[in-house]
Amino acid sequence: MPKVTFINPDESRIELDIPVGTSLMRAATAHGIDGIVGDCGGGLTCATCHVLVEDGYLDRMPPVQPNEDQMLDFTAMGRSPCSRLSCQLVVTEEMDGLTVRIADPQL
Amino acid sequence: MLREATQATAQAGKDGIEAPVLDIDPFTETVLADPYPFHAALRETGAVVLLRPYGIYAVGRHEEAKTVLSDDERFMASAGTGMYDLRKPGAWRPRSPLLETDPPEHTKLRAVLTRIISPFVIRKWRADFEVEAERIVERILDLGTFDAVKEIAEGFVLTVFPNAIGVDIPHENAVAIGDMNFNAIGPNNEIFQRSLRKVEPILEWYQKSFQRESMRPGGFGEQIYLAQDASELPADSAPGLVRSFIRGGMDTTIAGIGFALNQLARSPEQWDAIRTEPALVRGAFEEAIRHEAPSQTQFRTVVRETVLGGVRLDADRKVAIFMGAANRDPRRWDHPDSYDIRRGAAGIHLAFGSGAHICIGQMIARLEAEVILSALARRTATIEIAGEPSYRIINTLRTLKELPLRVTRA
Repeated sequence: MPKVTFINPDESRIELDIPVGTSLMRAATAHGIDGIVGDCGGGLTCATCHVLVEDGYLDRMPPVQPNEDQMLDFTAMGRSPCSRLSCQLVVTEEMDGLTVRIADPQL
Repeated sequence: MLREATQATAQAGKDGIEAPVLDIDPFTETVLADPYPFHAALRETGAVVLLRPYGIYAVGRHEEAKTVLSDDERFMASAGTGMYDLRKPGAWRPRSPLLETDPPEHTKLRAVLTRIISPFVIRKWRADFEVEAERIVERILDLGTFDAVKEIAEGFVLTVFPNAIGVDIPHENAVAIGDMNFNAIGPNNEIFQRSLRKVEPILEWYQKSFQRESMRPGGFGEQIYLAQDASELPADSAPGLVRSFIRGGMDTTIAGIGFALNQLARSPEQWDAIRTEPALVRGAFEEAIRHEAPSQTQFRTVVRETVLGGVRLDADRKVAIFMGAANRDPRRWDHPDSYDIRRGAAGIHLAFGSGAHICIGQMIARLEAEVILSALARRTATIEIAGEPSYRIINTLRTLKELPLRVTRA
């Protein structure tokens, strides 16, 4: 199972084994990672599962679709070039070793 | 049975089998009053069926319903999201500029509206919503026994949502307009005609209600008109867009809050749970609209011949998506008929649709539900059914007409 590391705003790290086909948002909320809210459950309407993808992995992520692109402008932290909504990051084998930083603030 | 279906699919190969026929009219008073036997027949007849009374396809399983809603390259919205093909002669209503367009035209419009009702904007409404919720809770605690549809669901939504848009919608008009709008998505039957006759005296008012001169300063309706002035939105699109918000945002949210109250009143254990753990309120609403989808049916049109779930679909035919059936598909949900606030259905149920057209106002609906249910949970010790609820009969909307409840103060 691919391993994904979440970095909390306080710099603590949480490593999760996430089954292929599950989104980072679902995995994070299921494991009680508070920094990922995901109010809308992946509907691309709340912008509360914002993460920053660490160096080297950005081009392994699925392309940004229009609804995600629009919502990234309304994240509480503001948008950066490595910003993604984690509900759209559905885990593949290629993502093994991925590290993402949880946006601060998320709300 | 499952094995037979699998074999049939394998034999059909990439060309698909002909759609099995289902000869039930889903838009009769009997079926609309209790749609669940029809939903089961729809799901068990096939992945896609041909609905004989209308000569259109229909889907009721979660997987296929999600695909038809979201795969806009195969299933277009621009021929209308109602039962009738708006490209054909005799189309009697204009296209909704938001709902009845496809990418890329739709994408540009949606981006502007996403900005106008962004999460930043919606969060600022919370304090105003909470004031209204407190007022309503105080009133129903005084009443003790009351109709929760009128006093809570309609009372709350029909105040806070028109305020957010910046329009005035008298309560008595809202119900008649809702009946007409959600009947119009379905067939031109007697149910629709009856609702049309009922709104005739107020149609002139309704047409005016989404025009520029009706927008109160500070509401998001005004923002839509300003975006049109700035040429960010197409000329003359603003009235249709404001109308889409009025149509899409009121009746569905009223329905969802009504369903949450109906189920919570039947489940003292889950009511106590949201009282001790307020964060569960969100799940209570999400599960309510999973369990009974307010917007029951939507339509798309097949772009070109295609295969879905092993069934061959002809180009240009309409497909009815029964979200209420998909939300209880046993292939997707354990114990689909039970109401379970801990299910975690958000983002999986199809009550808000799926794909590019997913409900743009869903965070407004969630905020409304969270605020009113939280206020109730804080102040109310017990909540129970005080009489059997009844449903309104509408072609494509499931919603309560009356819900007698009895409450006691905390």
